[in-house]
Amino acid sequence: MAVSPLIVHPTSALQGARAVSSPLKNAASAQTSSNGTPLAVQVVPNAAAAAAQSTSLDLAEQLNDEEKRKYVKGKKLGEGTYANVYLGFLRNDPSHLVAIKKIKIQKEYTEGMAPDAVREIKHLQELSHPNIITMHSVFSSKDQNLNLVLEYLPLGDLEMLIHDTEHIRYGAADIKAWMGMLTRAVWFCHENFVLHRDIKPNNLLIAADGEVKLADFGLARSFSDPYRPMTSNVITRWYRPPELLFGAQHYSGAVDVWSVGLVLAELVIRTPYIAGNSEIHQIQLICQAVGTPTEDNWPGVTKLPEYTVDKEVIPLRGKDHYMALFGTLGVEGVDLLMKTLSLDPKKRITARDMLKHDWWHKDPRPTRKQDLPKKSGGQGKVGADLKRRPGIIEEDRGSKVARKLDFGPAK
Amino acid sequence: MATEDARYRQSSQYRLWSFSPSHLQSLREKTNSLAISHISNRLRASSPPVDPLPDFLTPADEALLLNFYIVDLLRAAQFCDLPTEIQATAAIFFRRFYLTNSLMTYPPRALTMTCIFFACKAEGLYYRLQKFADKFPGTTGEEVLAAEFVLCQGLRFAFDVRHPYRALEGAIMELRRLGDFDESRLARAHQRTRDVLKLSPLLTDAYFHYTPSQIMFGALSMADEGLLQRLLRDAFAGKSESAKNQVLDVIQSCRAMLEKEPPERRTSYWDGSGSKETMKPLNKKLRKCRDPDRVDLVALQKARREQALQKAKAKTTTREESDIFGASNGKIEDEEREAKRRRVVGGGDLLGPPL
Repeated sequence: MAVSPLIVHPTSALQGARAVSSPLKNAASAQTSSNGTPLAVQVVPNAAAAAAQSTSLDLAEQLNDEEKRKYVKGKKLGEGTYANVYLGFLRNDPSHLVAIKKIKIQKEYTEGMAPDAVREIKHLQELSHPNIITMHSVFSSKDQNLNLVLEYLPLGDLEMLIHDTEHIRYGAADIKAWMGMLTRAVWFCHENFVLHRDIKPNNLLIAADGEVKLADFGLARSFSDPYRPMTSNVITRWYRPPELLFGAQHYSGAVDVWSVGLVLAELVIRTPYIAGNSEIHQIQLICQAVGTPTEDNWPGVTKLPEYTVDKEVIPLRGKDHYMALFGTLGVEGVDLLMKTLSLDPKKRITARDMLKHDWWHKDPRPTRKQDLPKKSGGQGKVGADLKRRPGIIEEDRGSKVARKLDFGPAK
Repeated sequence: MATEDARYRQSSQYRLWSFSPSHLQSLREKTNSLAISHISNRLRASSPPVDPLPDFLTPADEALLLNFYIVDLLRAAQFCDLPTEIQATAAIFFRRFYLTNSLMTYPPRALTMTCIFFACKAEGLYYRLQKFADKFPGTTGEEVLAAEFVLCQGLRFAFDVRHPYRALEGAIMELRRLGDFDESRLARAHQRTRDVLKLSPLLTDAYFHYTPSQIMFGALSMADEGLLQRLLRDAFAGKSESAKNQVLDVIQSCRAMLEKEPPERRTSYWDGSGSKETMKPLNKKLRKCRDPDRVDLVALQKARREQALQKAKAKTTTREESDIFGASNGKIEDEEREAKRRRVVGGGDLLGPPL
């Protein structure tokens, strides 16, 4: 147990770093311009409207405006159902580009702020890592829309690279580099007790320098206490591990590791490895690709609420099977893949142990990020990526997308 | 320095919501004086002007009332059978909100409900709005939501609150592992510390000044100083005495703060014997000096929405005008958007978005 030593009081918390130099100074000017002028108030007949119109006076509103003023919003990069994305830059450093994601008020969701937005903001506020998209700031605009100031990632996502087999060539060293970045991102999430719960290639965005960043924390949650159930209805179906397909409500970081394994497989064969068109089908395909989950290879599996497998039991696939399909990874690479695809989540490798695996040290060395293959003309793509809401934009891939949360365990 | 400390410094709790005592005090004074000048101007400007201006709450008044409402909030959260952590998150949200907003500006009773509801959301427990509102007769869902946005802004969009509860479980496990104490002593200390943590840090500024582990140790020290000493001896084995004493000093100052609101205070607050009577004049004072424009949050929210809509309408009109000179892209986009929206509804994908 760590005894947290002296934490110095960050007197800067509101003042220094976030540069709210003197709230009072601003207040004075705000006053004369709005409520200090009695006329403005009298013109508006309704008192509530007057308050709505009055410019910032509260400290809270001033702080928000300070954040807002730090950025300049530029052209629209994309428009979606859930959010519009704009290019922006830092007011005091125009060379520093950002993406400003303005979340729209959703008419259909009548319970206030949408849970996705809450989850995304909550976790991105806390996680700061080179392989996780950076959220520089959040502010609200006058019309009560949320604006997330995110890192500008102009080179599209990993899915675009994987599936553009005509124009993009990459090899084992590139795969190793990308996987290294993904694994570090997932390790960092787990180290901070956050489950991502939607890892897949199109949530892996690429920065200008080639660095891969894990994005979309709309399904993320903190690790649960042992007695508190979680929903099993998470992770896009093709990347969903067997325990979730069987309805497990107490699970761990192992769910993300399974998804990471499937991203690795997809990087090699350049098509989704286990692409079921229903949950039952997904389970069948897992049985064929990996083996049938039984009490022998996974004690307790038959007790899971939705355990159903075909009568015919397919034995666990051996190393030869994987070598035939994924041989380009080499013996160690295949070993790592197999460990991520362990049926029993207790035996599945952890993100931490993945980072300690031998594969990273074997030849070929991972490609330096500046030398990684890039999609040309990706400028316009960032808009599409950031505003996207799976299952809407990409109709053709809709079948694999299962982005909904079960509110069942709620009250 | 330990990497765990470095990591804590990345948290929004440290970056945005930790202050030195003097800084905290000055923030409260600013918030109070801003509210007073705002409300005074507003009252003078109304027709007919309010002549003698009412007596305003002082920062000290606000502090007293704040705790009164937090106790109220905890009671309501308990009534909803919410887990300890969510209760605490709601209380801390409330405390943070009223650091940069005055009680005179936004009505605390309404914010109590909003904080509880939003804390559930922030902790991933999806309480249905209607079900939640039904728990409290006389409260509508609309009222609960009216202040949600204002709350989020007041929280500076930091929705993650680090609590000391799990730290306590860890410390007790550690003590068991050391094996120097009998189980009954540990169980007693465990229980007592938990009781302290459920109330004292929420009614004091502990979360603004100390880390979760410091708060936990401060509470443990209240329950059983010997256990704290034993843990520190272990943690600082092989390190200098001064390093240990430095930490101990912080823990003791945290303890001193927690002791101002010991768990026993809960009953005295709840009986209302002392508190309600002391609070009566303050609540009366508040009723007279609050911001007349923001008493009715539902109406305020409606006005804000309408304003936003009008702004948006004005925008589309100009766009349509400009479309006269070209293809009406705007309309097509809108139709597409509508179609997408319908699909969203049809697919049951109500929740939301990715990046």
